[in-house]
Amino acid sequence: MILVYIETAEGKAKNVGLEMINAAKALTDKVAAVVVGAADEAVKQAASYGADEVITVNYEGYNTDAYCYIFKALVEKYSPEAVFVGGTLDGKDFAPRLAAKLGAGCVTDVVGTKKEDGKVVYTCPVYGGTVLNDMVVESPVAVAIIRSGAFKKADPLDAAANVVAEEISVPAEELKTKIAETVKEISETVNLEEAEVIVSGGRGMGAAENFALLNELADLLGGVVGATRAPIESGWISRAHQIGQSGKIVAPKLYIACGISGATQHVSGMIGSDYIVAINKDEDAPIFDIANVGIVGNVLDVIPLMIEEIKKAKA
Amino acid sequence: MAYAIPEENYDLLETVREFAQKEIKEQCKEYDVSGEFPKEIYDAAIEMGLHTLEIPEEYGGMGLDKVTVAALIEQIGIADAGFGTTFAATGLAYKAVLAAGNEEQKQRCADILTETGFAAFCLTEPMAGSDAANSKTTAVKDGDEYILNGRKCFITNAGVAGFYVVTAMTDKTKGTKGMSAFIVEDGTPGLSVGNHENKMGIRCSTTADVVFEDCRIPASNLIGEEGQGYKIAMITLDMARPYMGCVAVGIAQRAIDEAIAYMKERVQFGKPIAANQGLQFKLADMQIKCETARQMVAHAVSLQETDKKYSMESSIAKAYAGDVAMECASEAIQIFGGYGFSREYPVEKLLRDAKIFQIFEGTNEIQKIVIANNLLR
Amino acid sequence: MEILVCVKQVPDDSVEITLDKSTGMPALDKVAVITNAFDGYALEMATRFKEAHGGNITVVSVGPEKARDTLRNCCSVGANAAYLVNDAACENSDTYGTAYALSKAVAKIEAEKGVKFDIIFCGKETTDYTSSQVGPMLAEIMDIPQVTNIIALDPAEGGLSVKQETEEGYNMVDVATPCVVTVTKPSYDPRYPTMKSKMAARKVQIPDITAADMGADASLMGEAGAKCKVVKVFEPAKKEAGVKIKEETVEETVAKAVAMMSDAKVF
Repeated sequence: MILVYIETAEGKAKNVGLEMINAAKALTDKVAAVVVGAADEAVKQAASYGADEVITVNYEGYNTDAYCYIFKALVEKYSPEAVFVGGTLDGKDFAPRLAAKLGAGCVTDVVGTKKEDGKVVYTCPVYGGTVLNDMVVESPVAVAIIRSGAFKKADPLDAAANVVAEEISVPAEELKTKIAETVKEISETVNLEEAEVIVSGGRGMGAAENFALLNELADLLGGVVGATRAPIESGWISRAHQIGQSGKIVAPKLYIACGISGATQHVSGMIGSDYIVAINKDEDAPIFDIANVGIVGNVLDVIPLMIEEIKKAKA
Repeated sequence: MAYAIPEENYDLLETVREFAQKEIKEQCKEYDVSGEFPKEIYDAAIEMGLHTLEIPEEYGGMGLDKVTVAALIEQIGIADAGFGTTFAATGLAYKAVLAAGNEEQKQRCADILTETGFAAFCLTEPMAGSDAANSKTTAVKDGDEYILNGRKCFITNAGVAGFYVVTAMTDKTKGTKGMSAFIVEDGTPGLSVGNHENKMGIRCSTTADVVFEDCRIPASNLIGEEGQGYKIAMITLDMARPYMGCVAVGIAQRAIDEAIAYMKERVQFGKPIAANQGLQFKLADMQIKCETARQMVAHAVSLQETDKKYSMESSIAKAYAGDVAMECASEAIQIFGGYGFSREYPVEKLLRDAKIFQIFEGTNEIQKIVIANNLLR
Repeated sequence: MEILVCVKQVPDDSVEITLDKSTGMPALDKVAVITNAFDGYALEMATRFKEAHGGNITVVSVGPEKARDTLRNCCSVGANAAYLVNDAACENSDTYGTAYALSKAVAKIEAEKGVKFDIIFCGKETTDYTSSQVGPMLAEIMDIPQVTNIIALDPAEGGLSVKQETEEGYNMVDVATPCVVTVTKPSYDPRYPTMKSKMAARKVQIPDITAADMGADASLMGEAGAKCKVVKVFEPAKKEAGVKIKEETVEETVAKAVAMMSDAKVF
């Protein structure tokens, strides 16, 4: 049995949870999804995306210590071979601590799994993704932090959830920290992980106002706008758009890289894209080494023409 | 491939190299275009103490050995020669005080320099370039003050310096023997800065006229004695020339670094142009010149460090390094081909930066006069 | 406050690391080593905290002899003292083994200095293995609170008020001391050392701590104690470069590119 934590946002499952159900199914006889807090929609999603069972836990909000307590209790009750947690900020916050609590081995950033000689082998990128390590965990239970977008979701089925409600009360003295205030600075929601088309800008965009061109192209293609670290640090666009090692890892069907040189930091976050188009004035830019189509030219000249050409092609 | 510096100083070299590469190299491109003085970057460099390398420990500075100073300044020069020039010019002014000033002056100028970060040496005048003896600036004694009048030109660090070392005639009838040297502190009434030069290169350094109009300074600001000014200036220039040489070596080294990177990356006829032996020979020639210039700088400052005669060697180091900087910059452009001529690429700036090193602090022709005088005397 | 910053020496992350063809292992010989970037942010944040509120900063690293250079660098940008956990028993530890060694080192240093650390800073992850596990594991082993992914902190009644970066903004988290915080990139960069601080750092004594010194159970550390084992090291399949288009005019270039995209049915 593998326990898969389904992280939710506004009652709905985040993609990585549903992706993990599919990854876990190939490795074990039974996948139990864990939904913490009231989230009926997420419970339904977990079932339709393939969970054999959905365990609900009555705890609202997020707290490191509470989550460690809850998952320790679940592990003790169900004795799973592994706990899968998505590589979100919360996931990376509690999963290693849970592993230490359980005396379990913990792997991070898992991008591949397979079963060899009865053992689960986890593939994890190191050195910014230029090298991959296959790891095995030699403890009765493994804690695996799975990279968002690394696995595909199953096709949803109209399956009814087999729901098990767990009542776990977290003792107050377990809670060592308290969130006094949550502030939303970034109002826009950028769903990079789920986008099928991403139009991304780098340092070569030159200025904040030039990102309007990317918005226009993204709108035309029904996609969203991404960015490398440089434009974010220059304040041209919010960090919600960041793609790469220190941002989101994405794998859209079409990725258009505009004025992006192709540093490993960024490439490791988008190399899984199905089709990559790169626009750069420097014909030796490393981004061209991974692009299906490379356009040598100034982004500010190329993008408006591209918008026109795509409009023509679509008409 | 480098100066042989004391083992323990490699940590300083690495720190300066990292700072120069990360905070100066790319940033200075923009200032090269605008001609603005990159004040914030200088502030960061001063925060690190790059202006105190040569101030002796007893006056609160780093008191580093001269070869280490040259090695550190080269690192700045690799990133941007204008930036390196600014620090070398500050060192030039303070050297005059070190060479001929009294204890009080050495301490006072060290304090001012530590505080403000910059100093300026004012010898050249509109009618007195290579012919420094034709100086028109005057200093007239009035009680316990001197009153300075005149105009100095092409002064590096004018406007930012905490103090100026100024030569002026105290007795016009005596020619060079009537020249004296003074310390003028920034903010002294009658001291002002004229037009800033719009320069061909080293545009991250600031260069302007310095004007004295009934500028009264305490008589205690006289360096050495009346009539010693010309001699002090010549000794100071002898001391300082190798440090301009090491900035020039920085330009040559940068030209080599850029050429190597480009030769490996640029593919023509199906292979990187680095495979072309003609270009390999060019690169090797650049390296031969750069390394010999560097070691000439090291030799000149080592002679200084060990109290041996160094006037001729200083001139050789400066003149040769200036020529080598020009040659290496020009060859780097040649290797880059058409791209080398483009301002989008880094090598055309090197040629613009290099030219002045054959001119300031004594043209290469003046250096040859110094060398010949040393040989024939 | 007494502050501990845990640092790791890592290969320069601006260099692309590949496998050595003869050994099949990452070719690290020619790659310079640097302080892990996030540990650098942690030390800078700790130093700013010290400058604002007073205190002492100790840095510690579990690593080989060479890691002493990294600790010395730390001493030139804010750290007052440094210790190196230098023992073959710690080599090739997994994250738990490293966290365990650090927990033992904390106790040893506290006993030696006669102080208790109020805040233990870690980088949110290292740039080489990016596991982001050691900080939370250390907090668990020491049984103290943790706040991960922080960008600022201030003293508050009973402990600290910590600014934790989130997807959409930030949380203000109240936490008692002692605690572990893991640091992500704040709005500033680490300072450069000065020529003077660099020279002063040369004189800092950096004591070694061995597994025996700190009473560590060697069976929990090193390759033998590791719960996670690497069974294969390989390079990801290279993505084939496609075509690069540069026609006479930009119009022709774009037309050709869009035609190819259209043929590939990507829009």
